[in-house]
Amino acid sequence: MKKIDPIVWKETGFIAAVSFTFSVFMQSIFLIVSNWVEDAWNYTVILGNLYGYFFAVLNFFLMCLSIQKALGKEQKDAANILRLSQMLRLLMLFVAALIAYFIPAFNIIAVVIPFIFPRIAITFRPLASKIKQRRNKNG
Amino acid sequence: MTLAIGIILGCCALGAGIAMIAGIGPGIGEGQAVAKACEAIGRQPESKGAVTTTMIMGCAIAETTGLYALVIAILLIFVAPNMMVGVLTDAMEAMSAKGLFIA
Repeated sequence: MKKIDPIVWKETGFIAAVSFTFSVFMQSIFLIVSNWVEDAWNYTVILGNLYGYFFAVLNFFLMCLSIQKALGKEQKDAANILRLSQMLRLLMLFVAALIAYFIPAFNIIAVVIPFIFPRIAITFRPLASKIKQRRNKNG
Repeated sequence: MTLAIGIILGCCALGAGIAMIAGIGPGIGEGQAVAKACEAIGRQPESKGAVTTTMIMGCAIAETTGLYALVIAILLIFVAPNMMVGVLTDAMEAMSAKGLFIA
């Protein structure tokens, strides 16, 4: 098995950390909404959130692994690897949501929302890099 | 009533299918991007680290449209039908109570 690039671990760690922060934020919003809507927040939201978070980070990690694998190949092979990987990862997320729908312990909305957290986390990536650069400059 | 529920379910399924058309684009885009990245690494092997980081971020952004489409499709399949049928049933009951609708 090929060794996993440290960049993959680093980026996945960043995405996992920021996505976790957003998950906590989402829980707090569900908690606030539960003041007006009955049963808006219960254990199914927490379990669903953890389940969705796990698959969102796994999806990102698998994408990083596909990129690492593709970068060592010929152009045509690389393009095919990533196309296949993207299709399989979308299928994986759909199956994850399907399983969550049939298990009553998961709130389906709390499962689906974390799927888009990595995208929001990437929006904050340049900001995090700038803060790190400033810290390094200041010593 | 059964016809109305059938139309709702059919439209939800159709909407989910149409939404997933957006899932085709990111795969093609990511494939093109990584092919060009391979070319760049082939020219300058020392820039592999920088190219990999940029590729990861770029591919994650490119994949967003596919994920949005997937989320919409999942909501249309699993959440929307129950909600809409519930709203329809409540509306029918309210209309029946007022004598406006005879089921």
